[in-house]
Amino acid sequence: MNMNAVTRDDLQTPVGRSDAKLLVSMQQLGKVYPNGTVAVQQASLQAGEGEFLCFVGPSGCGKSTIFNMIAGLTEPTSGHLSVLGTTPKEARKQNEIAFVFQEHTLLPWARLIDNVTLPLTLRGVPKKERIAEGERVLELVGLKDYTKSVPRQLSGGMKMRVSIARALISRPKLLLMDEPFGALDEITRQSLQDELLNIWQKERSMSVLFITHNVFEAVFLSTRVVVMTPRPGKISEIIDIDIPFPRTDDYRVMPEFSHYIRQVSEALKH
Amino acid sequence: MDKWAASLDTTRPPSVLTAPPDAERAKQRHEQWKKLASRVIPPIAVLVLFVALWELLLRLFSIPPYLLPKPSDIGQAAIENSANLFISVRTTVVEALLGFAASVVLGVLFAIALALSKTVERSVYPYAIVMQTIPIVAVAPIIVIWFGAGMNAIVIISFLISFFPILSNTLIGLNSTEQNMKNLFYLYNATKMQTIWRLRLPAALPYILAGLKISCSLSVVGAIVGEYIAGIGGMQGGLGYAITVASTRLQTAYLFACGLSAAIVGIVFFLIINAISNRLLRSWHDSAMNG
Repeated sequence: MNMNAVTRDDLQTPVGRSDAKLLVSMQQLGKVYPNGTVAVQQASLQAGEGEFLCFVGPSGCGKSTIFNMIAGLTEPTSGHLSVLGTTPKEARKQNEIAFVFQEHTLLPWARLIDNVTLPLTLRGVPKKERIAEGERVLELVGLKDYTKSVPRQLSGGMKMRVSIARALISRPKLLLMDEPFGALDEITRQSLQDELLNIWQKERSMSVLFITHNVFEAVFLSTRVVVMTPRPGKISEIIDIDIPFPRTDDYRVMPEFSHYIRQVSEALKH
Repeated sequence: MDKWAASLDTTRPPSVLTAPPDAERAKQRHEQWKKLASRVIPPIAVLVLFVALWELLLRLFSIPPYLLPKPSDIGQAAIENSANLFISVRTTVVEALLGFAASVVLGVLFAIALALSKTVERSVYPYAIVMQTIPIVAVAPIIVIWFGAGMNAIVIISFLISFFPILSNTLIGLNSTEQNMKNLFYLYNATKMQTIWRLRLPAALPYILAGLKISCSLSVVGAIVGEYIAGIGGMQGGLGYAITVASTRLQTAYLFACGLSAAIVGIVFFLIINAISNRLLRSWHDSAMNG
């Protein structure tokens, strides 16, 4: 079995595939809030094209802070961070990063087609093009018959699909997801996990950075699991998940699956 | 099972098979009527009872109509003066509408200006509150001095009284946008104006409409107060002017008729805004769901 448990000492060396373009690179990244709270300490990580990286850890371990720094919502206080080869704020202007949050963040008054095309509308893309793209992504998440519905007519799982469709509309290179399935029931959660993996496999070059506190979800979805521990928030281990895609429900009951679950759970105790 | 067997019994005429859905629909319609009636009949019954009691007691104790007119006196006064009453109502409606429209436009624009910059909001908003606490009756004479007695002054007074609820409600609405949604717009590189038009203003709509509901009735009050102070004479006076004239002439029944008309104008304004509000919010906001 090839499971490279990376210890903290190895973190300096790039772990991503050497041939892949680097999308996110963190070196010794740190964030201390003005009140003195150390949110993230010495986080080093590199993510290349076509990766599916899950950040897993308890609340307060700094995973959302890392997410916010990559998104350019907060500035790191130490270390170096580059996204798409530039600063996070510059990277965002290239329209190649997309976001999904735990809340669906849909506009309640807007029809689904207007909701999913929002990123294009804000960029001034012509209406005809917008609609075509909107229909494409709604079909991708299996909601093409609902273009004229408003969000409140949908279930929680459907709203999350729309939210994912909106993120996919600009064909992003980097998809940042902050506990997207955290508020869903287990059955809906699993079917959305399957769908997300399908979509990710179709868009080969897209990298996903996925935050979760669910170990099962992390091991099922990712190519690598970034295990984080709190007080102060830091990356304690990065675990490669060497299971080929497409991953089906069979994977959830394979011995390898439970093995990785145990490995990640152990790492979380450090 | 027995029911199904009976309806499928071939010895019965075929119409029996189609009957249940129709009967079901008729029953539903009947239920809806019953529901509507149960909401409408009690208040109407109270009104009829109240008016009848009013008429009866006044006739019984023969109270002079200049002190308290009977409902029949009021009705008679309204019919006798219907031409004047109509003109007064029309004048007041026009004044109130102009004042209300101005307060909607300026109230919303002002709120947007304040919402765009926290610094501007912090420095200007306290004065808007202070302005609101000055009694309008105290300011009205100054407005008459500045703008002259008549329509202009009345519209401005109506505007001043209905402006603040719209300003403050819109501002609260604009400032209560969810942080998540604001982050989303920020991350997708939305400009400040895009965030206002596509997010904060639509999200504030329920608040703005609540402000309109308060202000539309206030604008009628403002118009009538304005007419008390700056009323124009002759044939074109509004309800406020007609009320002052009726009171000096001790035409109490007509005074009542004018007062009731003013109330009806206010209620109609409210009902129109309420209907618009329900229509705009129906598909997405909880407040209009069961309305």
